[in-house]
Amino acid sequence: MDNGTDSMLDMYLFETNSLMEQLDELLIEAEKVEEFSTDDVNEIFRIMHTIKGSSAMMEFGSLNQIAHHIEDLFFYIRENGMDAIAPELKKSLFNLMFKSTDMLRSEIEKVENNEPLLENVDNIVGEINSFLNKISDAEDTSPASQPETAATPETPSVAELNMELAHCPDDDAPFFIKLLFEEGCGMENLRAFMLITSMQDLNIDFRFYPADIETNSDTCQDIVDHGFFLAVEQEEHIEKMIHVITDASHIQSYEVIENARLKKEEAAAEPQTQQPEAPAPTAEVSSTASESASESAPAKPAANARAHSGPVKQSLISVNLSKLDALVAIVGEIVITESMVTSSPDIQGLKLDNFMKSTRQLRKLTKDLQDIAMSLRMVPVSGVFQKMNRIVRDMKQKLNKDVRLTIIGEDTEVDKSIVDNIGDPIMHIVRNSMDHGVEDSPEERVAAGKSPQAEIILSATHTGSEVIIKVEDDGRGMNPQAILAKAARNGLLTKPESEYTKKEILSLLLLPGFSTNEEVTEYSGRGVGMDVVKRNVESVGGTVTISSELGQGSCTTLKIPLTMAIVDGMEIAVGSSIFTVPIANIRQSIKVSNEDVVYDAEGNEIVKCLDEFYPIIRVHQLYNIDTEITSIEDGILIWVEASDTSYCLFVDELLGEQQVVVKPLPSYLNSFNIKNSGISGCTIMGDGNISIILDILKLYEMAQY
Amino acid sequence: MAEETKNIIDADLDEVVEVEVEKERFLTFHSDELTFAVNTKYVIEILTNHAITTLPMVPDYIKGIINMRGQIIPIVDIRSRLGKMPVDYGDNNCIIVLEIDSISLGILVDSVSQVVDSELSKISPVPVNKQQELVNGMISLDANNVVLLLDCEQLVNEQMMM
Repeated sequence: MDNGTDSMLDMYLFETNSLMEQLDELLIEAEKVEEFSTDDVNEIFRIMHTIKGSSAMMEFGSLNQIAHHIEDLFFYIRENGMDAIAPELKKSLFNLMFKSTDMLRSEIEKVENNEPLLENVDNIVGEINSFLNKISDAEDTSPASQPETAATPETPSVAELNMELAHCPDDDAPFFIKLLFEEGCGMENLRAFMLITSMQDLNIDFRFYPADIETNSDTCQDIVDHGFFLAVEQEEHIEKMIHVITDASHIQSYEVIENARLKKEEAAAEPQTQQPEAPAPTAEVSSTASESASESAPAKPAANARAHSGPVKQSLISVNLSKLDALVAIVGEIVITESMVTSSPDIQGLKLDNFMKSTRQLRKLTKDLQDIAMSLRMVPVSGVFQKMNRIVRDMKQKLNKDVRLTIIGEDTEVDKSIVDNIGDPIMHIVRNSMDHGVEDSPEERVAAGKSPQAEIILSATHTGSEVIIKVEDDGRGMNPQAILAKAARNGLLTKPESEYTKKEILSLLLLPGFSTNEEVTEYSGRGVGMDVVKRNVESVGGTVTISSELGQGSCTTLKIPLTMAIVDGMEIAVGSSIFTVPIANIRQSIKVSNEDVVYDAEGNEIVKCLDEFYPIIRVHQLYNIDTEITSIEDGILIWVEASDTSYCLFVDELLGEQQVVVKPLPSYLNSFNIKNSGISGCTIMGDGNISIILDILKLYEMAQY
Repeated sequence: MAEETKNIIDADLDEVVEVEVEKERFLTFHSDELTFAVNTKYVIEILTNHAITTLPMVPDYIKGIINMRGQIIPIVDIRSRLGKMPVDYGDNNCIIVLEIDSISLGILVDSVSQVVDSELSKISPVPVNKQQELVNGMISLDANNVVLLLDCEQLVNEQMMM
């Protein structure tokens, strides 16, 4: 049972979060034109309604309350139109909306973290209500209280269930569809409501019973006991609806029932036409269906607009990420097994035409399968980018700067785990640009010959195996001398100031303990700085570079691999062990003679490549591996590079290049600090043996001790 | 010999479900002259002559990792873990794969011997002055045959604390 609530909670969080994202996007767009269109109002109303309903179901009081009051507010706006709101109030409407969505979001976060929710939300509720009073002046009482009072009267009709018609509700429709949900799937009323919502897109006349599924959680039991009914006016619509029903999940069975009662009482049918209006919930409870069904209902312009404004339904399903991971892992195994079979030593040297033909076919299919499996994990970065809109908006107001955020390439797709990891870094960089990059006043910008409105460009582009994310601003740029002086003060310099190139100076920004602004502001520079950005990006295998021209702006570039699950690797041998070095880290492999190696004061080996000297790290010494190859001349040097570190690895021999599926090391080993010993994971090779994947950056750090 | 034992154990593992509550089933194995017992509910599989990939920079008793049908499993050498003289098993090793609190772990032992049923009441605590690491009980099978009960929780949990 515990499990059941868990998955319900998962579903609730997923739904609510995606609704909140939609809402945020909508608010940002709407604020640009300082106006809610009819569609927007309906959409917000719908979102709040759903959040309200499902929160009530999950017994999250605070969320339910806030959503409920926003819903009331937008009910009023929907009825009276945006024009009813005085222009000077519109701004405060937006602020109020942002404030309440923040509130909702923080409550959802608490649910996610299993923390207790706020007992008392009177603060925000009061604010919403007073705003509603303000815009509605005298007629404020009715809209606010209507939803609750309206929901009650329809219960008696449900009581008149006709046993002959298998509990069919009292309705004059010629056909009923009776739905039964899977036993124990939970939230039956909500599921039914979701079904209704998707059916409304079909533009069909129908009614549903119990009619108060959305507001009355007791109907849940009702649906479990008697089923959920859809009353349809026209036979040809049934097929369309059944189509929707079969697409929905957790439906156990459905049946189409002809209204026998109607046949018997044809004469009595006429007066009954007025009845559907009674059991159906009143207007605001999303009963577009019943309104358009019964001509008698007053046709409201809002309701009409709504039929067209339903969000475009995408054919999406949500899948647990761990299932996807398992799929990707298995596909990886298949790819390896396939090469194990086709290059099996038993068939080497045999001439097997048909076999070769089939294996070629198999290889192509496994390749396709692999591509599809990998693409499943890819999601667009738009989610992360859209959040920046909000940050820029808030900071614009707080800092009183005029900034325009331009987003380019938000459809670019990257691995889900990477998207989760780059949100914070991008946010940090954008905040930095807003806070430190953009000039304090428009006058300052005009004086520098720029347009008064500053621009921050957030862009994402694909290049083969990488995604490049850039945050550019046209602000005042960074002063290399100031950075150098600051770094010197913080004791971050490792060589004389005069020897630093501009690139090196800018990379000082990424060091721990560096923060350009002396004062700590609300948005950036809390002592944690760009070093956190760097660490986060590096944790997904990416790199950060900064470029800047004083007076013209700065640009931070994140290069991030598309996926971490598969890497191109170079297999190397050291003694009897086999390691994999990611090809991306390898610059060159070189054979050197003893004379090429020089020693520094501490006796460390150094070698010269392309006029620069690089330290040599002997893998066999570092990892204590027995090998016969200890002379530099017998083995081979691999010149590797990761972010700003570059050095040479001494190994016995190169075995060849291979695409490998990265597997994490067992969690049991985490307690041995294995992540810091230069090992990022392992992979299974074609022959079933394990190869250890080296983390070039960590390996160097460890070798320094 | 090892192959035979494996078959017996596999067969026995299937029946473990039917064992009544008060009786538990144990797999006994040898490591450096000592006989240990491990509850069969933890045992997933017994592997022999499996290639172990050594890992650098880990304590001696972590022998390395193995690939069990695509799953990467760390291997703990019971001998080294208990501070006994390590032996070079070569390729002639015997690994018992355990799953404890959903952590998979292989233990490297000298040999596997048999599966025994024992009533829980027959498990006696270790004498206080003879406490030993990784042992949380003793089972006397007959007059002169006492086995030590392997403390699986300790095996995985103490790692977490280190």
